[in-house]
Amino acid sequence: MTNTYLDLLAYFGIGGAHPGGFNLTKAILENENIQPNESVLDVGCGTGQTAAFLAEKYNCQVTAIDNHPIMVQKARQRFKKIKVPVMVLEEDVHNLDFVDSSFDLVIAESVIVFTDISRTLKELSRVLKSDGSLIMIEMTAEHYLSEEQQKLACSLYGIKEVLNTEEWILQLHQTGLTQVEIINTPPELIKSEINDINPSIQINMDLFDIWDKHNEFLLHNGDFISYRVFKCRK
Amino acid sequence: MNRSDLYNQCCRFNGQRVRITCHDGRVHVGEITRVNRNMVWIRPDENLGGYGLGFFGGYGESGFGFGIALGAIAGIALASAFFW
Ligand SMILES: C[S@@+](CC[C@H](N)C(=O)[O-])C[C@H]1O[C@@H](n2cnc3c(N)ncnc32)[C@H](O)[C@@H]1O
Repeated sequence: MTNTYLDLLAYFGIGGAHPGGFNLTKAILENENIQPNESVLDVGCGTGQTAAFLAEKYNCQVTAIDNHPIMVQKARQRFKKIKVPVMVLEEDVHNLDFVDSSFDLVIAESVIVFTDISRTLKELSRVLKSDGSLIMIEMTAEHYLSEEQQKLACSLYGIKEVLNTEEWILQLHQTGLTQVEIINTPPELIKSEINDINPSIQINMDLFDIWDKHNEFLLHNGDFISYRVFKCRK
Repeated sequence: MNRSDLYNQCCRFNGQRVRITCHDGRVHVGEITRVNRNMVWIRPDENLGGYGLGFFGGYGESGFGFGIALGAIAGIALASAFFW
């Protein structure tokens, strides 16, 4: 399956491509007491900004996966360039090649919404240790979305549905992630500076059109769709 | 990006704040003020604080900022954005 919105992020090589950007990532991680012996999985790592930061700052054992070949290649390039020991693998989050209970912390920054949500949550819960945490930043409906708005979001972003907060929590509970905490974030969709970028030499003009459509979508629907940061434990 | 795509892209971003990466690795951030087939002009961010409104002394009298040859440009994108 191809997803042109994700291609946009991959070809432009945009780091911190999630609501709140890298600043939100740093703010969230600051409150986690991550130890050097802990194993952390960054799923849908994109170009690897968060994974690199985790390895550099916390010295922990970082594994990063993504199923987009260009993302994986750019992440690998980054880790090599700055010499951080991150293991990076091209894998599908629906079906991970790790044994059960492998990780103390799993991070998904704007990833799960692009997948089959219940399958992905099951898989992430499987690889999470019994006392581990899953932190996820995900698109969330703020108000009731009309059928038209749902359709538009789904076709533009290649997703199946936009869940609201209660629906996310329900999905998490059904997966056995029973302790769910919502981390406070600013309500507006604040733009982040795009200062971590690694564009491909050839960028198809269609992707600029997608970017325009995305901006247009935010302009008209930004009051209806926002995001949440969930911290979950079993 | 080839020259004509780049030109079209600069036109499209006219008036917006962009980040331009040059082949030599230099990065310029600012608002596009003018575009032609060979050059794009940007008014860099740092100007806003430093010189006072309306005066862009460091970058010529035109107020267009400074020009970058399209041939020197490796990539161009909006300088800030919101992404899911
Ligand atoms: C919005 S981007 C976020 C990237 C990165 N987490 C960041 O914050 O910059 C979503 C990422 O999820 C990845 N992704 C989407 N579906 C996936 C799947 N089934 N398996 C693995 N990665 C996936 C995409 O390739 C993309 O890199």
